[in-house]
Amino acid sequence: MSNEVEETMKRIQSHKGVVGTIVVNSEGIPIKTTLDNTTTVQYAGLISSLADKARSVVRDLDPSNDLTFLRIRSKKHEIMVAPDKEFILIVVQNPTD
Amino acid sequence: MPPGTNAKHKTSLPKTGKRLVKRDVEVADDLDEWKKSKQLLKPKDQLELTEGELKEIITKVLTTTNPQLPDSLVEFDYAEGAFKPLPSQGNVVVLFAAQGTLLHKDTEEAHQQMIEQGIDPLSLKDSTDNLLDNDADEELSIPPETLSEGSKEEGEEPKEEEGKEEDEETEHKEEEKAEEDEEGEVEADVGAKTATSKAPAKTTGRPRKLTNQFNFCERAALTYNNPTRGQETQTIPPPMATFSSNVLQWIIYDGYQQDYEAQQLEKELERERREKDKMAVGRPVVKKVTGKSQLSEAVQGRVYECWKVLERMVNQNTYDDIAKDYRYWDDPSDEFREEVGTLLPLWKFTYDKTKKNTVTDIAWNPNYYDLFAVCFGFLDYMKPIQQGAVCLFTLKNPSFPDYICMTESAVMCADTHPVYPNMVVIGLYDGSVEVFNVQASCKEASYRSDNVTNKHRGIVWEVKWAPDLPDGELNFFSVAADGRINNWVLMQNNLAVTTIITLFMAKDAVSGPDGTLLKVKGCASCVKFHPKKPLVYLVGTEEGLIYKCSTAYSSMYLMTYAAHQMPVYRIDFNKYNTDIFVSCSADWRIKIWEDNRLEPLFVFDVGDRVGDVKWAPYSSTVFAAVTTEGKVFVFDLNINKYKPICVQAVVSKRKNKLTRISFNSKLPIIIVGDDKGCITTLKLSPNLRIPCKAPKKQQHLDQWTLQCMKLDKLLSLVREPVILSLPEDTAGTEES
Repeated sequence: MSNEVEETMKRIQSHKGVVGTIVVNSEGIPIKTTLDNTTTVQYAGLISSLADKARSVVRDLDPSNDLTFLRIRSKKHEIMVAPDKEFILIVVQNPTD
Repeated sequence: MPPGTNAKHKTSLPKTGKRLVKRDVEVADDLDEWKKSKQLLKPKDQLELTEGELKEIITKVLTTTNPQLPDSLVEFDYAEGAFKPLPSQGNVVVLFAAQGTLLHKDTEEAHQQMIEQGIDPLSLKDSTDNLLDNDADEELSIPPETLSEGSKEEGEEPKEEEGKEEDEETEHKEEEKAEEDEEGEVEADVGAKTATSKAPAKTTGRPRKLTNQFNFCERAALTYNNPTRGQETQTIPPPMATFSSNVLQWIIYDGYQQDYEAQQLEKELERERREKDKMAVGRPVVKKVTGKSQLSEAVQGRVYECWKVLERMVNQNTYDDIAKDYRYWDDPSDEFREEVGTLLPLWKFTYDKTKKNTVTDIAWNPNYYDLFAVCFGFLDYMKPIQQGAVCLFTLKNPSFPDYICMTESAVMCADTHPVYPNMVVIGLYDGSVEVFNVQASCKEASYRSDNVTNKHRGIVWEVKWAPDLPDGELNFFSVAADGRINNWVLMQNNLAVTTIITLFMAKDAVSGPDGTLLKVKGCASCVKFHPKKPLVYLVGTEEGLIYKCSTAYSSMYLMTYAAHQMPVYRIDFNKYNTDIFVSCSADWRIKIWEDNRLEPLFVFDVGDRVGDVKWAPYSSTVFAAVTTEGKVFVFDLNINKYKPICVQAVVSKRKNKLTRISFNSKLPIIIVGDDKGCITTLKLSPNLRIPCKAPKKQQHLDQWTLQCMKLDKLLSLVREPVILSLPEDTAGTEES
């Protein structure tokens, strides 16, 4: 299974316009990254808190509901976030490329 | 107020008369002081006195005699029967009477007391007398200063009384002194007594001094104050932790949910325990392994799922324009074209490892509209490729297949189970069949036919899931080039095979080498089961014949159609009218047949080998075919019975050959596969999928009925007898 996970991550990284991929654990510490250190730490910290907040919003509106994915479209990038209890996956893509 | 008290008050008045007068004087004094500041309020009837009258002094004499005292009180004596005078009460008025406790030492009582204390009153009297004498002597020697002091002190006293007073005072002093001395003497006396002999007083102990207000003395003792002492200890402070948390609705909800789960678990355990107790000697309970590895496995699975979704997101961004076309774009130019449509190419699906393979089969998943299975094998027998694969692609991820099942031999066909969309059966080039449960594992086949005994002796051209057996076992049919049609049943851990039919040729046995006779077998190339009659199926052969067979009979054909001159590649039943089917062949022709009619209804020549033909799911008269030229043909019999309404080259003619085509069941999309392992998605333009319009009188009819009616109408036109006999020329006979 871990092999397939690894492969998928590599594949995503090779996609057109993908700037970087980050795997963050439940404590907000980046485990795997294809970006440089400072950017990774910044993304990990900010995105994990945003994901928490977003989940809180969704759960507060309906406790039986849950957040599954999060896409943040900015002028330069699109940040795609897969938040889970135990990890957060982040992909940063430049869709206009 | 009770009358008694009132009377008493009155009687007491005369007694206090003297005092009242005194008080009046005092009141008058107060009044004078008061007069000075305040205006005197006079009663109206006050007498006006003259100056002289006011200044006149009226003398008042106070006497000790009480004028109101009764002087002759009498009492009636019943004994004598006469009044008897009572003695006068006198002028004495007792205001206060108190019994004193002082005794005069000369009285009997005092003597008694002294005796009790062990003092001889007689000796005391003597000694006091002596002392008095001494005092009298001493008095003479008292310095005059003391006398003058004493006189000074009582200087205000009248001179007459001075001497007396002095005497009295001295007397008092003397007495006091005498007493003190007396005491001293007594003590000394007692002390002497105790020292010399045992006197009777000694037995009673030292006489207690009676304390009274004259000889009382207070004694006090001060003990040492204990110095104050402070002792302090400090315990180790308990560890402190700061805890802060938000309480939101969903946190509470989660808490309850967890609690509920825990309760359920508890109940479950309780039940298990009870069952265990019941069984007593049961089989060993298989413990669930909920180790860390399993947990991490689950997390890994979730990570994988998330990555998959993220990949789809990335793809969506990358192929944003295609995705929009796929969903929303309809060729607007179709409105101006008559009876002609176009195909809009969308995504192309490829997989790196199978780029050399030919797409041998493609089929949409019956449950998920966006998922389709692609078989990678080869058809050019001059360049065999050893390995093959079956891949499950989804429209949501055009860059990579969702599931990949690699095989050792080229895959020639596949079928997805209509009820269990995770069960995929594939037929291989080497004649074996495999069943994959893609959900469990794509690497290992769940079932695999025996490579030596239980297999076809030729290429498996088509596999097809059959309805489940009464026991619920899954089973499927396979058709191979060895002329056999097998039925495979998925048992516990192996495949059980039954040969349904071995195709035979309606020819006599031909003489083989060495004079042996050889029965010539048919060579199946495709199969199609009747959608409504599960027993009936059609088999296309390499010889170009189509046999109509039944699984109930293995030795005969229900019907034989001399369909084509070259191998039949595909047979497909119409979705609306199951009596109509289409076949295509390498002889460039597409033919439409009606059941039990030996002649085809329509024949179309498309100018190249036709790899595949399929009826459209949305229309009863539309079908599409692909040719090796790389062209897609779309026919609509309702619009044009002779020509296709769309011919479009999808891939380049020289390099690529199209092999297979499939209609999506929900969306106006077809997929075509070519021999370079590439699948192209095409969107049908509006002209290719015109829905039926209900006639004005029959607006209530649904699309299904309309489609059937459309086809029936068309067929009735075509079903005309082929050979027309000339009507009799009655007129001519008349003439002749």
